[in-house]
Amino acid sequence: MVLLTQTFIPPRLAATLAALACLLISVFPPASHAATLNTAEKDPLNSFMWPVYRERFLGDASVVFDERVIVNAPRFAEDSGQVPIELDASALEASGEPITDIIAWVDLNPIPRLFTYSPMSHGLAKLSLNIRLEQASAVRVAVKQGDTWHVGGTYIEAEGGGCTTPGIATADTDWENTFGELQGRLFDNEDEQRLRLRLSHPMDSGLIPSQPAFYVQSFEMLDHQGQQVATLDIEASVSANPTLGLHMRPSPGGYVIGARDNNGNRFSMGLQP
Amino acid sequence: MKAHFLGSLAALLAAPLLASEPVMFCERPLVAQPVAENTWMVEGLTEELSTSNCGHIGNQAFIATPNGVILIDSGSSPHFGEALKTLIAQHTSQPVRWVLTTHHHPDHFFGNAAFDKAQHLTLATTRDLMARDTDALIDNVERLTGRSLERSSVALPEVIEAGDITLGSYPLTLYAMSGHSGGDLVIMDHATGVLFLGDMGFYQRAAATAHTPGLQQWLEELHDLRILNATIAVPGHGPSAPPATIIDQTIDYLEWLDQRLSDVASEGLGANHALAGELPDTFSTIALAEYEFTRSVMQLYPRYEARLLWGAPH
Repeated sequence: MVLLTQTFIPPRLAATLAALACLLISVFPPASHAATLNTAEKDPLNSFMWPVYRERFLGDASVVFDERVIVNAPRFAEDSGQVPIELDASALEASGEPITDIIAWVDLNPIPRLFTYSPMSHGLAKLSLNIRLEQASAVRVAVKQGDTWHVGGTYIEAEGGGCTTPGIATADTDWENTFGELQGRLFDNEDEQRLRLRLSHPMDSGLIPSQPAFYVQSFEMLDHQGQQVATLDIEASVSANPTLGLHMRPSPGGYVIGARDNNGNRFSMGLQP
Repeated sequence: MKAHFLGSLAALLAAPLLASEPVMFCERPLVAQPVAENTWMVEGLTEELSTSNCGHIGNQAFIATPNGVILIDSGSSPHFGEALKTLIAQHTSQPVRWVLTTHHHPDHFFGNAAFDKAQHLTLATTRDLMARDTDALIDNVERLTGRSLERSSVALPEVIEAGDITLGSYPLTLYAMSGHSGGDLVIMDHATGVLFLGDMGFYQRAAATAHTPGLQQWLEELHDLRILNATIAVPGHGPSAPPATIIDQTIDYLEWLDQRLSDVASEGLGANHALAGELPDTFSTIALAEYEFTRSVMQLYPRYEARLLWGAPH
């Protein structure tokens, strides 16, 4: 699958191989024509940081840009501290092997990584949360299926409108009063249980002088028997008061959600259908 | 003969400066449209602040009274305010004696500095919001229009109470509302039947919701305004029209927005689900509908979740 994967082959050789592959494909059309239609080798967002983070986050595994990894986000950020994004790779998930890892990052954030999600036995390849955006940037999600990373993304402008006053109208100055409050709801559907969670936490990045890093590092989802069924590690590029939308396979007894921050605080709650 | 000569001289002095030369702002002529007797509006472009419109996106209005001009909102920069002053002088020889600021958004009062001899008046709520947000708003306007503003020139107005007031000898009725920005002054001129809505009313330009205390609050107040006995209304953005026409369009849009946010939030879906899909055809003629809708979802969605999922008070 030379055409479908980005590798470390030198350009001239790659060109030769590609030409060869074209010849081969014209003789032997690929088995899955659909896959060739919605995948690409070249970064569709044309970001100069792509090669750096590809190497850092995805290593030397094969990589393909895939339209079935959908990243939904508004075209621009109204409040760059709270930008809602949503991943939906359910079409990819339905097409083949299980999805084992999902990594998301913002190309131009000082803390680029957003999260690493291990859907394990019960998580589905859909997730929503709010993120911080330092400046206009590509936002990426890489989904690992088998040995290949399937990458999707979108570009978000980072300027609010004329009467926006970020951080003034919305700044939560008394966060200590609600700190650690974990709220959640479970929405029971036929083929999935949708969890919506909100944890009151400042998510201090440590990048502001004299303000130490103080942020939630991980969430875990347990079934009613206490078995870990999915985990989500996050960074301080996730917005204050993290609000998560998780999509889980139905669990008759519901789920227990646990969270932990870098100061060792633990939070948990149970959600029943 | 002498008396006649003096009379015509007086008439000449009292008459407005009928300059044929149009007042230019941002390479476009600035136009005062008659709304009623001795009443004009200056209509801003139905756009967001940008370098190409130099910030002229909101409406202003003025009433020429025997004792001086009452100006309602002054635009988004002292530079614009100067152009507005020249324009007003083409329609009346009276000086601007009173400037009423409808609310604390930059496209409505950053021109105040051009009227330094006038008395500046606004609601107490608006004054507090101006004090809180002005610096951040100056940054925004400078970023979006690429023009620098003189920080020191934005002074806070005096506070005026709602109710019946008299400016000179001219009576007006003021209503204190909050639906659009937290402090919204609506002005009724019973003499001419003109209702000055400020940004409580948007017409053919989508409503901006960044500082609304809640869409329900805004809607309730619009229903109160709808029953006032006015013949024509001047919205904060968009053309003048019969009051019900403007108010109903704002109500329809805000009701739809409120319903959309409620539906998606109560399903436990994310904000991007509220953004998905097309806007109803009804709103296709409204400028900036998609843009403002996108902003509103980001501004308001967490509040709908808080109320509908986490049980926060309304």
